[in-house]
Amino acid sequence: MPEVSNLGDYRSEIKKLVADIAEKSPEEIKDDATFGEDLGIDSMMALEIVASIEKKYKIIIPENEIPNIRSLQNVYDLVAKLAMK
Amino acid sequence: MSDLRGKTVIITGGSRGIGKACCLEFAKQGANVVFTFNKSQKEADDLVVEIKKFGVDCLSLQTDVRDYDQCYAVVQKTLEHFKQVEILVNNAGIKKDKALFMMLAEEWKDVIETNLYGTFNMTKAAIITFLKQKKGCIINMSSVSGIVGLVGQTNYSASKAGIIGFSKALAKEVAAYGIRVNVVCPGFIETDMVGSLREDLKKEILKLVPLKRLGTPEEVALICTFLASEKASYLTGEVIRVDGGLAI
Repeated sequence: MPEVSNLGDYRSEIKKLVADIAEKSPEEIKDDATFGEDLGIDSMMALEIVASIEKKYKIIIPENEIPNIRSLQNVYDLVAKLAMK
Repeated sequence: MSDLRGKTVIITGGSRGIGKACCLEFAKQGANVVFTFNKSQKEADDLVVEIKKFGVDCLSLQTDVRDYDQCYAVVQKTLEHFKQVEILVNNAGIKKDKALFMMLAEEWKDVIETNLYGTFNMTKAAIITFLKQKKGCIINMSSVSGIVGLVGQTNYSASKAGIIGFSKALAKEVAAYGIRVNVVCPGFIETDMVGSLREDLKKEILKLVPLKRLGTPEEVALICTFLASEKASYLTGEVIRVDGGLAI
């Protein structure tokens, strides 16, 4: 599992990943953008984001955390938390 | 060679009747089997031995499908042991037949909770794994009673009709993720549920079946392995009756 200090520019990477799934450009997405209202990301797309992040950072996001992922900031926080464990 | 070889299947209510036949048929076709059972440890232990004779691995887990946490534990233990799971057969079910005016709320609740909530709990517990791997096959055991309704089975028919609606909605929801959801509706099958009926009642039942015989659990199990196989790769949201023509 990677250390958070070794994650590099993980915020930009995650933003790009989310942008790809939401079919938007990363510049269009603010960190506090909500998935549902701002980005039109539904629950299935959110799961796709989770699966992509797990694969990229070799972490497991617990299933009980998934319903709490509602914004880009939530994802940043979660990845940082899990990477630091 | 069967394309089920090396895959892992979870079968609920696997120790008896149709569930047991499913366990044995999946094992015969080379799948590793995880089955849940409610009460009889002895029956479960005997079945594990029988399943392993096919050269596959097997786990038996005592589980109350009415409890989500227990269902979630089944999926986690399966992943810990086998590292993968591709197929779920929601088979666990009970019946408590009675004319509606005699039926206690408790009898309604027990049947709905085991049959319908049980299907919801187990499917919800497995669906994230299936969605992440973009692969999965769910087979839900309904009944002809859920299609045509049978006397004395308002609770059972409601639960089984609910399973059909649940399955069709889910099939649409997850099709884009490579997950297929289908329903099997057995008619009168030679199991404990039907076997305990009086002989004269059985004769009356047979009059209703165009093929003039009870079905066997193995005949239902073969439809389940077919649905789980690549032969059924373009089938989803389908409801297949295995009832000798009862509900034509």
